[in-house]
Amino acid sequence: MDGVREVLGWLCIVPGAMFCVIGGIGLLRFPEFYSRMHAAGITDTLGAALVLIGLMFQSADWTVAVKLLVILFFLYVTSPTAAHALIHAAYTSGHDPLLADDGPPVQEGDKP
Amino acid sequence: MKNHVILRIVTKLLIPYILLYAFYVQWHGDFGPGGGFQAGVIFAAGIMLYGLIFGLQAAESAIRPRLVQSGVALGLLLYIGVGIASMLLGGGFLDYDALGHDGQHHGILLVETGVFITVASVMITIFYSFAELIRRQ
Amino acid sequence: MSGEQLIDIVLLALLASTAIAIARLRNLLATAMLTGIFSLLGACWMLFLDAPDVAFTEAAVGAGMSTILILATLCVVNAEEKPSRESPIALVAVLLTGGVLVYGTLDMPSYGDREAPATTNPITRIYLDSANAPVEHEEGHAAGSDPGDGFAVGIPNTVTTVLASFRGYDTMGETAVIFTAGLGVLMVLAGARHRRPDPSKEIDLKPGDEGPSA
Repeated sequence: MDGVREVLGWLCIVPGAMFCVIGGIGLLRFPEFYSRMHAAGITDTLGAALVLIGLMFQSADWTVAVKLLVILFFLYVTSPTAAHALIHAAYTSGHDPLLADDGPPVQEGDKP
Repeated sequence: MKNHVILRIVTKLLIPYILLYAFYVQWHGDFGPGGGFQAGVIFAAGIMLYGLIFGLQAAESAIRPRLVQSGVALGLLLYIGVGIASMLLGGGFLDYDALGHDGQHHGILLVETGVFITVASVMITIFYSFAELIRRQ
Repeated sequence: MSGEQLIDIVLLALLASTAIAIARLRNLLATAMLTGIFSLLGACWMLFLDAPDVAFTEAAVGAGMSTILILATLCVVNAEEKPSRESPIALVAVLLTGGVLVYGTLDMPSYGDREAPATTNPITRIYLDSANAPVEHEEGHAAGSDPGDGFAVGIPNTVTTVLASFRGYDTMGETAVIFTAGLGVLMVLAGARHRRPDPSKEIDLKPGDEGPSA
């Protein structure tokens, strides 16, 4: 039973870590701010959820699993809110998204 | 911040749990990682979140600046008071065994509460001072 | 190379590269964010070294509080660092200091060394034994019913015991330092606070702007 739990745990943690890496690569390679935030959102939700669920499978005690569940809930509430706050701030300060009819994307530096 | 509905609702949901977590860390410092310093910073972070989203005026009417300014000194006073109390009860300065049966436990609890009050008050005071500076710019 | 050594190397490399980035960037907003990230990585590093209390404090203060205060400062000052002139004397001074520091760390014991002063000094044994010695209870107290059973000081967390009981003077000094810091900020920024606000310049709440009751 313990072996099954550990295998299930690893089956969740490894894809979760991979999603985090994919989010990181997207953060570097996307052309402009809004698409980069979209990529970072994967790290917040899917990556964190899979890693925490895998840790829940591997936890020694049910109290630890409940604490991990609370951490997951907290993360789910705050990370998308932070992303929303960032994008709202960027939009209201005039930073426009790069649209399809604007021509080929150019790697731009950070605009204030 | 009138248009930021999402931020206001999420903050309203979260702040009670942040403050509760601060108290949990404070008194659970005996059994796991924690203690006065961490709890004070988390408490101050909750108050600062409230101030950032709902405005400085709302935060200052909830936790008055005069109160936190006296809290800065009160925590240190509590700490030293425990030391002097143990001197008056026969032991040396900060000798918790003189505080009676189970003195170590009570002494550590009181001392950590003093640290919590000072740290939280100092962080909130610094935040209020900076925010007033920005507001009057 | 074991997995732990790999995590070691990755964490330290991240710390070093973040520090270099902080030094080289001129945009102060980005530097503030990177300072928060540096503190978070430092907290991970301390957790890796089996010190959860310190990691907790570092994460809360460095990654949370400190970032907000630096951002608040940036609201008041320029958001761009002025370009500094390159000076060969400064380079020599920094290299000398860094070299002497590195030379000093060559002498330090490695992590977990059995011959290190922290392990062989008798005071370590005294602290750990007194923290964990059995506590006397009066009769009628069932053994093992209290989580503090078996500990002379009465609480299971050794770090809190050492911090608040064995080294109480040091913690009092730390609290006094924090108190002085708060006092210093109040004295420096008191001009902004206690000057009576000019009623003609007071910012009114706009009508329809409700408070927290919304």
